[in-house]
Amino acid sequence: VADPQLAASSNSLFNLAFVAYIVAMAVYFFRLAFTRVSVVGVPKATRAGSAAGALATMLATGGALVHLASIVTRGMAAGRWPWANMYEYSSILAWGAVVFGLLVVQRKWGYGHLMGFVLAGAVLSMTSALLLFTEAGPVVPALRSYWITIHTSAAMAASSIFIVAFVATALYLVKDTAERRVAARSEEGHAGYGGSTVGAAQVLQAPARPERRGGSRPDGYTDPSAGSGGDEQAYASPLAQRAALSPVAFPLVPLVVVAAFVLIVWRDPVATLVAGSAAALLGTATWYAVPYLPPAAKLDSLAYRVVAFGFPVWTFAVMAGAIWAQEAWGRYWGWDPKETGSFFTWLLYASYLHARSTRGWRGRGAAWIGVIAFVALMVTYYAVNLFIVGLHSYAGV
Amino acid sequence: VTQTTAATGTRPHPSRPRGSRLPEIPGPGETFARAWKALRRMSTALKLLLVLTVAVILGTFVPQEPVIPTTVAEWRAGTSGPGEATSAAFDALGLFDVFGAWWFNALVVLLVTSLTGCLVPRIRAFVRAARCGPAAGRNLGRLTHNVELRTPLPPCEALDRAEAALNHRRFRCRRSAADGAPGAVAQLAAERGHAREGGSIAFHISFYVLVTGAMIGHTFGFTGQVNVVEGASFADTRIAYDLAEPGRWFPFDAHRGFVVGLEDFTATYLETPVSTDPGAEAPGDLVTGGALSTFMPTDFASRVTISEDGEVVREEEVRVNQPLSHDGVSVYQVRFGMAPQIEVRTTDGTVLYTDSVILTEAGGFVWQGVAPVARTEVEQQIALELILLPDAGFNAQGMPVSRSPEPRNPRLAAVVWVGELGLERNRPPSEFRRDRGQQLPQPVILELGETGQVQGLPLEIEFSGLPYWSGFQVSQEPGRWVLLAGAALMLTGLVPSLYAYRRRVWVEAHPDGEGSRVVLAGVALHRKGVFAEAFDGLAEDVAHRLDAGGAPAPEPHPETTERKA
Repeated sequence: VADPQLAASSNSLFNLAFVAYIVAMAVYFFRLAFTRVSVVGVPKATRAGSAAGALATMLATGGALVHLASIVTRGMAAGRWPWANMYEYSSILAWGAVVFGLLVVQRKWGYGHLMGFVLAGAVLSMTSALLLFTEAGPVVPALRSYWITIHTSAAMAASSIFIVAFVATALYLVKDTAERRVAARSEEGHAGYGGSTVGAAQVLQAPARPERRGGSRPDGYTDPSAGSGGDEQAYASPLAQRAALSPVAFPLVPLVVVAAFVLIVWRDPVATLVAGSAAALLGTATWYAVPYLPPAAKLDSLAYRVVAFGFPVWTFAVMAGAIWAQEAWGRYWGWDPKETGSFFTWLLYASYLHARSTRGWRGRGAAWIGVIAFVALMVTYYAVNLFIVGLHSYAGV
Repeated sequence: VTQTTAATGTRPHPSRPRGSRLPEIPGPGETFARAWKALRRMSTALKLLLVLTVAVILGTFVPQEPVIPTTVAEWRAGTSGPGEATSAAFDALGLFDVFGAWWFNALVVLLVTSLTGCLVPRIRAFVRAARCGPAAGRNLGRLTHNVELRTPLPPCEALDRAEAALNHRRFRCRRSAADGAPGAVAQLAAERGHAREGGSIAFHISFYVLVTGAMIGHTFGFTGQVNVVEGASFADTRIAYDLAEPGRWFPFDAHRGFVVGLEDFTATYLETPVSTDPGAEAPGDLVTGGALSTFMPTDFASRVTISEDGEVVREEEVRVNQPLSHDGVSVYQVRFGMAPQIEVRTTDGTVLYTDSVILTEAGGFVWQGVAPVARTEVEQQIALELILLPDAGFNAQGMPVSRSPEPRNPRLAAVVWVGELGLERNRPPSEFRRDRGQQLPQPVILELGETGQVQGLPLEIEFSGLPYWSGFQVSQEPGRWVLLAGAALMLTGLVPSLYAYRRRVWVEAHPDGEGSRVVLAGVALHRKGVFAEAFDGLAEDVAHRLDAGGAPAPEPHPETTERKA
């Protein structure tokens, strides 16, 4: 059934897209370094930054197009929809995250300077696709149904969206920490909200802001809202934020976590070294990027909007899965590991949405639930497929 | 969303003397009231939700007895998993059947109670708000968004035009006319976005619908498993099923009684020669010891007929993703296997046993099963342990293996057991008592169509045919449509609850010389950034409709500029 030539060209297109994403990610980070984000969240790129941004957008768009060609040729080679195993699924996940990032995060919401992190997520997903590579081939009868287009594509779309949501949530936590620390330092004894820009309006009523100290900061950063009164967000000095975060912990923690994970799973020192260094680099980039990130409140609402976009899609994916299970296995819900996995992921994202409107959970509490929800999604996808025996196991590697 | 901030604990007990240093012990009534109040709190519901999540995670990673009983048995025996002691602890906590455990159900009941406690007041408030319509506004100048416009039109006309603009944007409007009272101003109050709360309520109500649908299915539904050999049939009756799981109140006269006959069964495999490249992994991953190729099932199909009162009314193929639905009963293709047809005769020609024996897969394309040949005399029973190699061959070590799952060169080995085998018990024949039986030393090995003598007993065995058997699941699911309706309600509620947002707009028209001075003000309860843009558009539209030529363009709100940047 499989056409080896088409399959081979699909693979080389995949590799090309992979390289394009890696380069685009690097250029996006370069752009970030040449961007100034004012305290009210208006990104302003320097000339080098704008050029880098344009180049990165071109690379990412081109990469996505090549990647799409790879996915289409893969489907043609196998003579079926190209999302029947983990290689194909991970590949499309990366593609979805890039496309969603480009269209929604960059174009619609104008947070193009966050795209480096979105691409990092896509590159990780592509790496996992390479590790789980499977030759193009036909599928078992249980997967031969039109429901594979409905259920699996919905699950992939939601997962890609959740990748972007996770990026925003994680960056929010970092930015929020920085803002709080800066506020705690500069505002010793200031009652109230501890520098967070989230929920500030609820905790602290508007007139509680004391007189402002000039419009210009020592580091030459102009505070645009100075004097306009009551703008909670115009508080933390951008460069002080970076100083408030440990330059050692940021590369070290990801390095240790990722290296330990890779060492335990693959027991390969070279892979451990590579993955650990990549994680450390990403950590450093995050640390460096902190001043240029949008204010925590904006990141929080970005994360919320993205989850709110993905959650109904995920809900639909789970429902379509139940309908398919009814048709294929004669029961709509059997507490199969994949079913329970998708269910606890759903519960966690539902908790996230609820937590965001619950007193005492808004902001960081909700964000941590969002992070856990994404981990749950990854566990549902990777761990349940690879390590737990269930009805979805055959769909695996 | 109930948000309670009052700390009940700090309120002094009414019956306690002031200044008492005794600990405050609430009575049962107050304890209940407090518990109810706590349960209705959003943060309690959230915590319950998180605990439920943890339970579901446990149910994912600990093997569940209803799903994979074999693994659970291994965990209990300590042959795999974390060991016997841990398994015993898991058993005590009900972790091998989380979703049937009392504490899981208690958690669900608690969560549903909490949900009900939250939802009832919300529904009441929603109905009230929807019925009353938008309330009149005051101090419009203080709202986050406001614009002042001048128009040559009289106040009444100006409000009409503003109302047209708002109606166009699907706002619900309510007019309060200046009724001549001094200082009274004609005002228009408009509101939109009840779909958010309404959708959220519908989303939460859908849980009750889903639970109802699942309960209906559990109590009034039926699921049965049946294995049929090619050429045979079964009737949808109480006794036909090998394994039946009727709901508690499933009426047995609900069995339809029609006859399902299996005409034939086909299994198709895709054969891929094992690649010589050791790095390449073959699809399907079914490589076995002696196989030169991998085989991936591509299609299993049963051609079945349905007969009512002896007449064939339907003939159809049933496959994995293609169930057959007849008269409210669904027939699913679940499994299949091989059922060698054997006949056991005494040497003088008396037929002891003739049947197709349903074999199960033992791995590596090898099938096995037990034929209960003679069971009438309890002390002298005979059973045949059958091992079938559909495509017999030898591997590199010289061991007999099956090279493919297809019956290309079938070979049947029959091991004869004699003794007090317990075949008369109501148990599957494969569970016969090996400990009380005696195994004849020489198995009988047969090709298809061959007859062989049993050494040591005056018996002969004929391997006369090799049909397939097909395993069906037959279900009646009366709650199915309720579940589907619940799912539809959930989605239709979920989308507006996340995207719709409530906003109110007021328009006031003050008489001002010839014309009027119009104040347009608005406030959004959610999604304030989106509203800022929408308000701008609205202000422009209203200004245009009022034909406020010469009036200054509406001054954009600071929040708006920031958004657009």
